[in-house]
Amino acid sequence: MVRVTQVLEAHVLGEGDWIAAREICGLCRLDLEAVLELAQLGVVSSREQVPGEWQIPATALPRLRVAGRLMQDLGVNVSGAALALELLEAQRELEKRLRRLERLVVDY
Amino acid sequence: MEFRDYYKILGVERAATADQIKTAYRRLARKYHPDVSKEPNAEAQFKEVQEAYEVLRDPEKRAAYDQLGSEWKSGQSFHPPPDWGSGFEFTGRPGGGGGGGGGGGGGRRYYAGRAGGGGNASEEDFSEFFSSLFGGRSPFGAAAGRAGGRDHHARIDITLEEAYRGATRMLELKRPEVKPDGSVELHSHTVRVSIPAGVTEGQLIRLAGQGEPAAGGGSAGDLYLETHILPDRLFTLDNRDVTITFPVAPWEAALGSSVTVPTLGAPVEMRIPAGAQSGQKLRLRGRGLPGQPPGDQYVQLKVVLPPADSPQAKALYEEMRSKLNFDPRAGETR
Repeated sequence: MVRVTQVLEAHVLGEGDWIAAREICGLCRLDLEAVLELAQLGVVSSREQVPGEWQIPATALPRLRVAGRLMQDLGVNVSGAALALELLEAQRELEKRLRRLERLVVDY
Repeated sequence: MEFRDYYKILGVERAATADQIKTAYRRLARKYHPDVSKEPNAEAQFKEVQEAYEVLRDPEKRAAYDQLGSEWKSGQSFHPPPDWGSGFEFTGRPGGGGGGGGGGGGGRRYYAGRAGGGGNASEEDFSEFFSSLFGGRSPFGAAAGRAGGRDHHARIDITLEEAYRGATRMLELKRPEVKPDGSVELHSHTVRVSIPAGVTEGQLIRLAGQGEPAAGGGSAGDLYLETHILPDRLFTLDNRDVTITFPVAPWEAALGSSVTVPTLGAPVEMRIPAGAQSGQKLRLRGRGLPGQPPGDQYVQLKVVLPPADSPQAKALYEEMRSKLNFDPRAGETR
């Protein structure tokens, strides 16, 4: 077992960064068709800089990873994953608001 | 190591059909999936279910597992028999044999590093029991091989303070490497990663060339780290903005006052305007996470009443009642 310590430069991907859709596939356990279908359904945005070479914003990766897990682990299709994502995010937003409000509640 | 009863974990009979196993898995996956479940310990439960399904959905692995016999109980001390795996033909591809009816067709899950929790279960997350029977060094795992150069992904947990100030993390990355004889060996190496200040929840960090090495000498894939910011005791985070619930005394809210408020950086002096109410939010511009533009800090006031637990305090409340002519519910009657 070889151990090497390296110092790596981290590149933070922000809103202006795009990743090739093919590269996304390996990271999200999704095939290209599913990634593009999720883009068509509005789950993530996409662009085609060169014909046939689709790109997805780097910020969309967490959503696509959840979509990939839902499809692989629960057997839902692309539409089901898109719907589940929307509902999960709405639920998370409501929970966040609830937590904020709970901090103001006084126990009797 | 302890024996694991995969049939019991999935709640099926030993004679269950592939469809029954798949249905049981889907039902439990729905219950414990970390992305959707509110069950306590959901992630650990889900990994256990995945491990059981990984074996029982694959006819080769299931047959081998069944050969251990039905006398074993979960938790019993176990060691693989010396002739383990003999008599089976291996398909020589990741994820073992199987095929028909196997959910998802995803094969084995690869991993790049252990950088915090979360995410999918990989073989590394499975139990010692699984690894000894079906892992990389077992007859079932040794035949695995694949084309290289793919990108990898891991999650990294950081505190809110680290997100604000930047952080350094030592990551132990483990890579499967195919040896000349076709077997796979894990190599680990440690890297130090500097995480710049101002990363937000779910942001991606790319480490070029730290993904899976290419088998044919091509360039290695990249490693992507997804940041997860741990809950903070004082602040809640919304993108780059932070909110703190800040207790104030009634007279501070009513008369206005200058207070010292914690921020992600140094504490700052803040003026509470006279007549402030509980729940009101005051903004400290640019005091959230760094960025272009930086986030803001919201200070949500929470008026806390002093207890009427002494004759003096009671007298003060009585005096307010008699002199202020105050009805907090004025205008709320139908």
